[in-house]
Amino acid sequence: MRSLSSLNFYYWRYKHLFIPGLFCAVASSVFAIIVPIVVRQAVDSIPRFVATSRAFQGTPLENYLYTDFFISLATYGGIIIMLSIGSGIFSFLTRQTVVVASRHIEYDLRNRLFSQLQSLSQDFYLQHATGDIITRSTSDIEQVRRYIGPAIMYTTRAVVTIVVAVSVMFVISPTLTWYTLIPMPFLAVSVFLVAGMVHSRSDALQFQYSQLTSRVQEALSGIRVLKAYVREEAEAEAFDQESAIYRKKSLDLALVEAAWRPVFLTLVGMSTLIVVWIGGSLAISGEITIGNVAEYIIYVAMMTWPVASMGFVITMVQRASASMIRLNDIFDAKPSILSLPEASSFDIEGEISFKDVSFTHVSSNVKTLDSVSFKVEAGSTLAIVGRTGSGKSTLVELIPRLLDADSGSVQIDGIDVKNLSVEKLRAGIGYVPQDVFLFSDTLSENISFGYLGAEQDQIEQAAEEADILANIDSFQDGFQTLVGERGITLSGGQKQRTSIARALIRKPSILILDDALSAVDVKTERTILSHLKKHFGKRTVVIVSHRISAVQDADHIIVLEDGRITERGDHAALIFENGFYASLFAKQQLEQELEDLA
Amino acid sequence: MSEEKKSGIDGQLLRRIVRFLVPYKKWVILASTSVIFAAFLGPLIPKLIQVTIDRDVVSGDLVGLRNMIGLLFLILLAEGGLSFINTYLTQWIGQQAIYDLRIRLYRHIQSQSLRFFDGTPIGRLITRVTSDVESLSDVLSAGLVTILGDLFKILFISWFMFTLDWRLALVALSVIPFMMWATLWFKKRVRLAYRDTRKQVARLNSFLQEHISGMKIVQIYGREPEEKKRFEAINDDHQQAHIKTVFYFALFFPLADLVASIALGLVIWVGGLNAIGGTLTLGVLIAFIQYVRQFFEPIRNLSDQFNTLQSAMAGAERIFGLLDSDESIPQVAAPTSLIDVKGRIEFKNVWFSYDNAIDLEDDNASWILRDVSFEVEPGQSLAIVGATGAGKTTVISLLLRFYDVQRGQIIVDGIPINQTSLADLRSHIGLVLQDVFLFSGSIKDNITLRNPLISDLAMKEATKAIGAASFIEKLSEGYDYQVKERGISLSHGQRQLLSFVRTLVYNPKILVLDEATSSVDTETEEVIQRAMETLMAGRTTVAIAHRLSTVQHASQILVMHKGMVRERGNHQQLIAKDGLYRKLYELQYRDQESVA
Repeated sequence: MRSLSSLNFYYWRYKHLFIPGLFCAVASSVFAIIVPIVVRQAVDSIPRFVATSRAFQGTPLENYLYTDFFISLATYGGIIIMLSIGSGIFSFLTRQTVVVASRHIEYDLRNRLFSQLQSLSQDFYLQHATGDIITRSTSDIEQVRRYIGPAIMYTTRAVVTIVVAVSVMFVISPTLTWYTLIPMPFLAVSVFLVAGMVHSRSDALQFQYSQLTSRVQEALSGIRVLKAYVREEAEAEAFDQESAIYRKKSLDLALVEAAWRPVFLTLVGMSTLIVVWIGGSLAISGEITIGNVAEYIIYVAMMTWPVASMGFVITMVQRASASMIRLNDIFDAKPSILSLPEASSFDIEGEISFKDVSFTHVSSNVKTLDSVSFKVEAGSTLAIVGRTGSGKSTLVELIPRLLDADSGSVQIDGIDVKNLSVEKLRAGIGYVPQDVFLFSDTLSENISFGYLGAEQDQIEQAAEEADILANIDSFQDGFQTLVGERGITLSGGQKQRTSIARALIRKPSILILDDALSAVDVKTERTILSHLKKHFGKRTVVIVSHRISAVQDADHIIVLEDGRITERGDHAALIFENGFYASLFAKQQLEQELEDLA
Repeated sequence: MSEEKKSGIDGQLLRRIVRFLVPYKKWVILASTSVIFAAFLGPLIPKLIQVTIDRDVVSGDLVGLRNMIGLLFLILLAEGGLSFINTYLTQWIGQQAIYDLRIRLYRHIQSQSLRFFDGTPIGRLITRVTSDVESLSDVLSAGLVTILGDLFKILFISWFMFTLDWRLALVALSVIPFMMWATLWFKKRVRLAYRDTRKQVARLNSFLQEHISGMKIVQIYGREPEEKKRFEAINDDHQQAHIKTVFYFALFFPLADLVASIALGLVIWVGGLNAIGGTLTLGVLIAFIQYVRQFFEPIRNLSDQFNTLQSAMAGAERIFGLLDSDESIPQVAAPTSLIDVKGRIEFKNVWFSYDNAIDLEDDNASWILRDVSFEVEPGQSLAIVGATGAGKTTVISLLLRFYDVQRGQIIVDGIPINQTSLADLRSHIGLVLQDVFLFSGSIKDNITLRNPLISDLAMKEATKAIGAASFIEKLSEGYDYQVKERGISLSHGQRQLLSFVRTLVYNPKILVLDEATSSVDTETEEVIQRAMETLMAGRTTVAIAHRLSTVQHASQILVMHKGMVRERGNHQQLIAKDGLYRKLYELQYRDQESVA
């Protein structure tokens, strides 16, 4: 529960809503509780009036009495309606303040969470699965929100209703009240138990639902294999099994819900029966009136929901507290990459040098880079070649400080990157990652993502340099074409080129292409590289590639093997060396050559 | 794809949904009976309380009072029991029907031809099998029976009220139109508000999802302040949408209470006046106070049910739309079985287009394959070379009969493949794709594809023969190692080897191979080379070739260009020919040779 205390700050911030809100909740309950008292008075007044009017039957007073009775009954009815209006207005105001405040808090909490996520460095993202962070930012926040608003509102109303109703009941008849209250604790406890069971069973159901979904997803994605190996029937049977488990989990949940209804009905019904039985006996002995019995019947009905809601509230608090612990994992994480207060802030030129740089991945404990040293003059081109897993991506990620080296020093323009302002450093870098990531937005937005407030002609120029302009023009909506789920699906090459355009529009001093040309054909690669060449001299370019055609013209080529530089030099020198690079060069791909031929 | 486009309820569609309940007819009748009984017992209680008060309490009969309470208690238990039975039973029926529908739908989808899968996004199919089926579950389970129960409840309450005092009943029920109006108004508003809320929630979540996945890009491009601004705007829209919903709820609950209170006020006023005339007892008045409260529940439920029914209709329409269209490969009624397959393959003047609406007579239409013919004798190999779009992949898809050809014939061991059953044909062909598809599950599952007929011994022998044993045994759990997220934990070469083992273990007569274009790892490269030789031994092979050795050793090479066969022959013949192949060889393969 302690985890939830971190929310107190927010209650304080919205005290101008919570304090009147709680007051309204009290007022609404009080109004509602007066209704049964009026009902009792009305019911009890009937036999009195009947007796009086019999006594004055036939006298001139009879008419007068009838009018009086008519008016007083109408008044009782009127008061009931007025009380209900009063209670209604306050109940409306409660929801409009407390629940609205809970939405405000949710809003604040989400904003804070998002800012925090943006400030956390890549090491945090390497340690936490993306899906997990997403769940925390969506459903855990929702759990906490339920606690903030509704739980507080229900508790207040329940406490006020129960306290006021029970006090009034005690004044009327302590005996009857004790008897009436017997089923109430059972009601609260059974709600609590049932809510717990419902939650755990519906979590199990939800889990099976996603099992079922991923089963279908996988089978349909691999439909060629299934069909080719005639495994359709086996797969269908596996699907039947998953569906059967799903059916079972649904029925597990249904069982609890089905058992819950009769328990609820019986407990509530018992209270009413006790009122009629004990109340009836007391009425017979004259201790209370029949009006009191009617009054108690209404009280029991009024108390049912607040008592039941206490059971729900307890589970809500439990869930919220578990969620808050998960959220605090994010809130309490410290960003590891920050600008130092005395950091230098200047526009970078683009000289890169690595001095004995080593890096070990925390999660795998594998030394990805081992004493790597090299130097690249501003304006020249560095190519990095190596097998998958040799440390190429890690190396380039150290330049814009997506990661920080464990030892050694990464320097830009002769200054250690840790002493540069992160904003300025990154502003000078255009980075095209290996896995293309585009936002589900228009192409124009995706390209100008690299340069806030870019003009249309700048976007077009970047698109042209990345050789994607012709493709974009061929789309019906041009630059306004939506990509991703709601829009068109771009080919791998088109995505890569869009991602390159996004980097080029920044006119960066350092351009990093991390295997960013793998999905385009050699001809396009050549076009893009020639565009880049126009700017060689202005920019430092770092190219990671498997393809010799992309790297052979670089000023420096380094070959990485298990995190160490094993070969370095230019194309001619490396061919002469007849090592890994030379063997890679020898394996040009048939596919590309054929395309040239055709 | 607007979900809430339809506002009415289509009778024909509803009948089709209900048809899924037919196998459980007996249970449906039982549930309906129990729900009607429960609907009777609920309103019976206030009536009996009235009798108790007017007969026993007023006359002071303590024994009578106790007996009545005993009876009421039994009724309460009976109502509880019935309500348990019908709640669980309706869920049970619904889940059975849902299960039947779901597995039928899945089998239908799976039986479709690849043409269907080419044209339908997988995401859409997943939605059909999961959430669309789910939307029917409310109708099939609680839905119809609950509607019946609520209708009877309204009927019984009205009946009790009218028999107690018809004038007071009219007075109490006079507020019903207001109640209906308030409920309908609220439901309509809330439905609209909810639709907006759902939209905002989806928007917020997809923004979060995207930005968390792409956080690297956001940070590297220094977009944090801008993205924060955007997030706050979306977050605010989300907040406002919810606050709007809160408003309707805040208004509706007091409003419903007010209507009930008006009824109560009226009952007390009019009832009290009647009591003076001696026509109404206190017990009746108390019973009415309870009936007024009881009456509103079924009305609220009914309007809920109506909404569920509506949204189920949209799902049902999509599901039946899918079930009604069949694009599976037509099978002949009496297929010729392939016995003792030798592995002879013949393509006879094959013309093919992915567009089924193509003009069959027009030779100049956009054919993917044009008049392709070739023969491969048992045990021999055919290497297909050509640029992207030449039709290489199409040839192997057609051999497996993923699609039917428009013109010409494909013949295996003298039998046209459309004269045999799909399962029979495919069980003799082993397919190895360049893009290896692994399922999540163990290494063993991925090799055997969960075929219980494949023994562990056979699996291990095949693994050894391919040369994959060393890497599998190095994995933490060996053959039980769990392949996650389509095998990202395995290298490309390892995945390739696994698919070889898979093929070898199935021991097909014909091997269809789409060679991987690249693999940087030289050691794995050699293993793969040897594995391929093992795989090809004694089998008829059709390969889309990228490796010099495959091409050189092929009994026959087919050079394809724009859907046509440009050159054919063995390596020596084609080199001598001085055509496309030779140019290709000079550019590409000589490098490989110098390395090898």
